[in-house]
Amino acid sequence: MSTGERALHPIEYALLKSLAAAAEKEEGQPSQPRSVEELTRATALDIDQVRRGIEWLKFKDMVSVTEKSNTAISISEQGRTAAMSGLPERRLVDALNAGMSSLAEIISAGKLQKEEANAAVAAAKRNGWIQFGQGGRMSVASTEQSAEERLLQKLMIQTLELSGLNGEDRTGYELLVKRPGYIAQKESKDVHVTLTETGKSASSQSAQTESQERRLTPDMITSGRWRQIKLAPLDVEAAAPPVFPGRRHPLVDIIEEIKEIFVGLGFEEIDGPMVQTGFWNFDALYIPQDHSAREMQDTFYLKKTRNEEDSSSGIPATDEQIRKVSAAHEKGWGSTWKAEDAKRMVLRTHTTPVTLRHLADAKPESARFFSVGRVFRNEKPSYKHLVEFHQVEGVATAKGLSLRDLMGLQTKFYAKMGIKKIKFWPTFFPYTEPSLQSMVYNESLQKWVELFGMGIFRPEVTVPLGIRNPVLAWGGGIERIAMLRYALDDVRDLYSSKLSWLRGVPKCQL
Amino acid sequence: MPVVSIATSRFRKFMPGVAEDRIMDMLPFAGLDIEGVDAGTVRVEYNPNRPDFSSDYGIFRALRGIMGIEVGPPKFKLGGKPGFSLAVDSQTKDVRPYIVALVARGGTLDDQTIRQLIAMQEDLHDGIGRRRKKASIGLHDLDSIQFPVRYTTVGPEYSFIPLGETSPKSITEILESPLGKQYGHLLGNSDRYPVIIDRSGSVLSFPPIVNGSVTTVDEETKNLFVEVTGTNDKVAEDILAIIAMTLNDAGFGISSVKIKTGSRIFVTPRMKGNKITASMDFINSTLGLELDAREIAKCLRKSRLGAAVKGSKVICEIPRYRTDISDPVDLAEEVALGYGIYKIEPSLPASFHAGSRDALSRYFDAVRETLVGLGMLESLNFSLAGTEGEYDLLGKPAGDALGVESPKSAEHEVLRESLIPSLLQSLSRNVHEEYPQKLFEIGKVFSGNNTSNMIEERWAVAAVTAHGDASFTEVKSYAQSLLNAAFGKTVETRSEKNLPYFIPGRSAAILVEGREAGTIGEIIPAALEKLRMRVPVSAFEIDLGKILSPLQ
Repeated sequence: MSTGERALHPIEYALLKSLAAAAEKEEGQPSQPRSVEELTRATALDIDQVRRGIEWLKFKDMVSVTEKSNTAISISEQGRTAAMSGLPERRLVDALNAGMSSLAEIISAGKLQKEEANAAVAAAKRNGWIQFGQGGRMSVASTEQSAEERLLQKLMIQTLELSGLNGEDRTGYELLVKRPGYIAQKESKDVHVTLTETGKSASSQSAQTESQERRLTPDMITSGRWRQIKLAPLDVEAAAPPVFPGRRHPLVDIIEEIKEIFVGLGFEEIDGPMVQTGFWNFDALYIPQDHSAREMQDTFYLKKTRNEEDSSSGIPATDEQIRKVSAAHEKGWGSTWKAEDAKRMVLRTHTTPVTLRHLADAKPESARFFSVGRVFRNEKPSYKHLVEFHQVEGVATAKGLSLRDLMGLQTKFYAKMGIKKIKFWPTFFPYTEPSLQSMVYNESLQKWVELFGMGIFRPEVTVPLGIRNPVLAWGGGIERIAMLRYALDDVRDLYSSKLSWLRGVPKCQL
Repeated sequence: MPVVSIATSRFRKFMPGVAEDRIMDMLPFAGLDIEGVDAGTVRVEYNPNRPDFSSDYGIFRALRGIMGIEVGPPKFKLGGKPGFSLAVDSQTKDVRPYIVALVARGGTLDDQTIRQLIAMQEDLHDGIGRRRKKASIGLHDLDSIQFPVRYTTVGPEYSFIPLGETSPKSITEILESPLGKQYGHLLGNSDRYPVIIDRSGSVLSFPPIVNGSVTTVDEETKNLFVEVTGTNDKVAEDILAIIAMTLNDAGFGISSVKIKTGSRIFVTPRMKGNKITASMDFINSTLGLELDAREIAKCLRKSRLGAAVKGSKVICEIPRYRTDISDPVDLAEEVALGYGIYKIEPSLPASFHAGSRDALSRYFDAVRETLVGLGMLESLNFSLAGTEGEYDLLGKPAGDALGVESPKSAEHEVLRESLIPSLLQSLSRNVHEEYPQKLFEIGKVFSGNNTSNMIEERWAVAAVTAHGDASFTEVKSYAQSLLNAAFGKTVETRSEKNLPYFIPGRSAAILVEGREAGTIGEIIPAALEKLRMRVPVSAFEIDLGKILSPLQ
């Protein structure tokens, strides 16, 4: 498609039309450049549209653009005062004419400031207004208006363009500009647009299509007028302004994907509080009361103390649960179990208190459930660590479930996430035995990365809560998966709400 | 997790004939993570349940088992001639009641061995010793001690030359030193202090703070005296057993020490381990394997345990240094390790379950879908937020905000009671991005109930719109459209003058079926200015608990 045939944007059309109309008025003469302001007035477009349209037309070679820089001269506040009460040299000769004879006298009479005196004498001498007699005595020779004075008078009336100053005005300007504070100068650039030959022919072509309609209106459709009209073609290759869709948070996309996989594997979703007691977050999981994870430097304890239903013990658990859990601690860890520590309110450090409490309350013979939620660690935030992050946890219980089943469920889960290469290493958690960690191979990083931890709940966890069958449990952080998926180096990016990222990250990571 | 550094030259010494690659491959299957490899050194992370891994001796001991080089309980013989005795004065009961000890003779302390022993001592102090609270260790040159040794208490003016010093220091001075400040609190408020003194009056140790200089151990030392003091006798003996086994592997002969406490006399280290019996069915069903008696016993021996089969059961002898084994499930894991985790094939459970989403999470999806449909971006912000952003910037008093103890960052100090402040801050971080900007968040908000002293967690949704024409009417349209599309509810608004963040006269309570369920309005310009915003912002927040009956 050649430029000539290319349809014009309404803005381009309006500009060409205005430029061509002006050229017509000045027929026979070379077409005059138009300024942006003139075009804005002539077209009823706004100034940004005009600027944009000029850029487009320039690109299509339909207009040529010249830039001219201007300097506007105007009078300052100080200049205004001088124009009315006289420049220092004028006040000097006026004072001499009034009979004063020495500078000291003139200054003490308030006709001149001390610091103006030297400049006043020099300028008066330059103007030929004064002569020096014997002993340096000054006398008035002339009082003719100076070029500077005349320019100041003109500037009182209007701002002048520097390039338009000639003759005496130019002299006045050159003298005044060297003196501080009387005049102000402002630089500006004027863009002037001239129609090119291509532009002229495009405008005459588009004049032919002027009878065509630029928009299909509701009225044209309902009245049937669309049968008579001809719609002008649009520049369908032009860029369109961006619009931004609403969207789910990218991390939520991954959470939803994980939930879908769990449901597909037969798991039921559960949810529970973020504020937990030490009892459910730690004690019921056989985490010793002097374990470092329970210290304030690792875990957030609330300044406020109590939560949940009132019970005589201050711990939201049955007396039997409390008794049996404390007995397991005292037997296994060989130190006195303190109810005080179990009562403390913590921001859960994992989602396990939620799943465990569900197991303890429902005591299902056979069940699969999962939980996704926020967990908290008292760390200094860094590119690797967040204080608050999401964890997913799966739990399966039934008679005869084994470590192999746990590995099988993991393998299926990872396969659904698109992860094919996994291996298992033994590890340790206080509340599971045996315990494993899974390592998955990340194709883009080309290395093994640690993902979920897992194990079978220890009898010290299940027996006191009356849970009979083996409980397989596994879980891990979701942000880690998100970082790999979205190729982020800094985990904090997930929570910074950077619109450039939220608006730009593709929903489908192909 | 604690880390052990192993010089690879030690591989050749303790695992002769085994390729380095093969050792590196097997480390993870013994439960050890390779943290890093430098020229000639491998750094290995071990789990806190295995204090016997606090030196490379313990690691090689386990690896030789798993790789089949040496199986069953490691050889250990306690030497006779209990000529070493330690008398315990009864006053020590009140400050640091327990002490156990051993003698190790005839070894050589080369540079690598000393490094391993010192690193082990530190790890045991910090780990099962709970930063010396439960137990602490003193290593001494045996040949500079005159037996019998006495564990007694002294007053604060008592002085001796501590390790690393040249002149005597009083107990008071030592308590003022960096080590004294770090560990002095473990002795409580007593004005008597525990010391171990030999017959000549030389101070061996002021536990748990510092040793005396007379018994300093160096590369010339041939014979060692090791004492462990503490507040927990089980942990003290666990530590002593681990040290006994380590020095045994390092080529020392271990002899016992006779401890006299009042009329009670006993001899340490006590190296006799527990016996645990497990049914083979239990082991097989836990692992999902079908191993016969011979195979199970073989796996256990590879984990350096003793194993004897009796009918359908296996009786396991647990060496004393394995402090982590107390239950048949622990034996199941030892079988898995001996068998090789890498050889276990994943299987799938046969039981059938129908999966489902939580009702709430489905409702939240409806809210999310509606707001996304209205062109909004979902934002995620922290529940634990900074006081400045939640209150100060918005001109709201912090009042009884729910704070946490000792936060490490000023951005995470209080549980938020509203979602709007974090959304406003999100807008503030995006002033250079194109407008209009419309954000929402679904999240938990928290409040303390002063009468019942309860902490309430509620789910809420909030939205903000920011652009030149953002207005009350606009967000009201969004709020009513949300509740109508997601839940079929009608929204009314009732003028409310005293709402935080909102302009009086341009803010209201949201009523759903006559009940207050949220707030809505235009944000005060004072807050916008502090947030460096240049456009007006309107917002609403709805308590989802008031809308969704299952949440109530």
